[in-house]
Amino acid sequence: MKMVITIIPGDNGFAEDKDSAKKIRLEIILPALERSDEIILDFTGVTSTTQSFIHALIGETLKRYGEDVLDRISFHHCNPQVQSIVSLVVDYSLGGFEAIEDEKPKKN
Amino acid sequence: MPEFKLSPSTSIHALKSFLNSNNFFDSKNSKTVVNFPERWLHIEPVGLVMLAAWGAWCKRTGKSIEAVNLTKKVGDYTARMKVFDHLDVKYDHQVLEHEEAGRFLPVKNIRDAKDVKDVIADVSVLLHLQDDLEALSAVQYCMSELLRNVLEHASSPDGAFVCAHNFHGKGPHRITLAVADCGIGITQHLSRAYPKVINDDLEAIRLSMLPGITGALPGVYGTPDNAGAGLFITRSMAKGLGGYFVLISGNAAYRLRRAKDNEQLTLLPDPFADRADRWKLPSAWLGTVAVIEIPIDKIGEYEGLFEWIRQQLPPKKQISKKVRFT
Repeated sequence: MKMVITIIPGDNGFAEDKDSAKKIRLEIILPALERSDEIILDFTGVTSTTQSFIHALIGETLKRYGEDVLDRISFHHCNPQVQSIVSLVVDYSLGGFEAIEDEKPKKN
Repeated sequence: MPEFKLSPSTSIHALKSFLNSNNFFDSKNSKTVVNFPERWLHIEPVGLVMLAAWGAWCKRTGKSIEAVNLTKKVGDYTARMKVFDHLDVKYDHQVLEHEEAGRFLPVKNIRDAKDVKDVIADVSVLLHLQDDLEALSAVQYCMSELLRNVLEHASSPDGAFVCAHNFHGKGPHRITLAVADCGIGITQHLSRAYPKVINDDLEAIRLSMLPGITGALPGVYGTPDNAGAGLFITRSMAKGLGGYFVLISGNAAYRLRRAKDNEQLTLLPDPFADRADRWKLPSAWLGTVAVIEIPIDKIGEYEGLFEWIRQQLPPKKQISKKVRFT
């Protein structure tokens, strides 16, 4: 089954409310994926967003299911700024940050 | 005695001398002083939010504030920016509101997510950005990320203090946005996950600006709600646009300098590798201050800024599947 999730932005089309992103993730996205549904995240009306918002929306999903989940999630009506941020979050959630390897606390 | 001494130029440019001449916090004395310069005062958002946050700390710790040299000549702008509302200091002079009352966001106290939404909603009109959607998006982005950082990580009893000014006269056309709190500071927050930063505020500041570092969990690219990329991206925006970025916490301060055009092409993940100043302060700031300068004339294509940041930061492991945008 396909499920369309509409992202409702705040004033001026700016989507930054992490609490609502978290709620969508926990109450809609993750349960839908558990049921093997496909998800369409619809960004119609979103003119800009933040990395924190997108991370709260999909970061855990990407880590839990790995890159195969990209076959089951699509991003609808994203403008170039939103596309870049979604891609950035996908990159580091699945691929990690090169820059911090030396900074991680060492295990004894 | 705790003293907040305003330099004639309390600005990003003259930040070092302002920070070095202050002894902001001293819990032994019940009386505190905010000292205004006698002849003139140029105070930017960094000074305004620090003063407001410090005033809230004084109130919380039961200290009364005496204002010294507070004349109309040096006090009007500070009054228009509503700083005295947070200081329990009465401003006796009448403030003339100019016809063009605006291009600035007065100091606001942010205590929860609703306050964040409300202040972001005000930005467009107060900074006169209705016709400049690129600048508006950049300001909204930075404001959201910096304020939510405070609410989620600072454990600040007084919340955050924010203000902004759209400078369009002398010098580069720019918007400066500042956020301050008197919470636990970056070192204490990060030391839970990165013990090596204990007793090293400068190293804590450096780590906080690296991508993927968060105090919530060690290593693993963040928690479900925090990636540890907020300050990295905000700093990257300043670098890409050629503006200042400032971070002050504990006994340390960092200032990314304005970048020349030919320096903006490469984003260095390590903030200390960039063209920047870093200082050890004689008197600590008990909390965190973050400032970003957004040069309006250089924004160009705001949408492209994030793609530039992304391209400068390739993932450690390549991903074979594509994101589907429809």
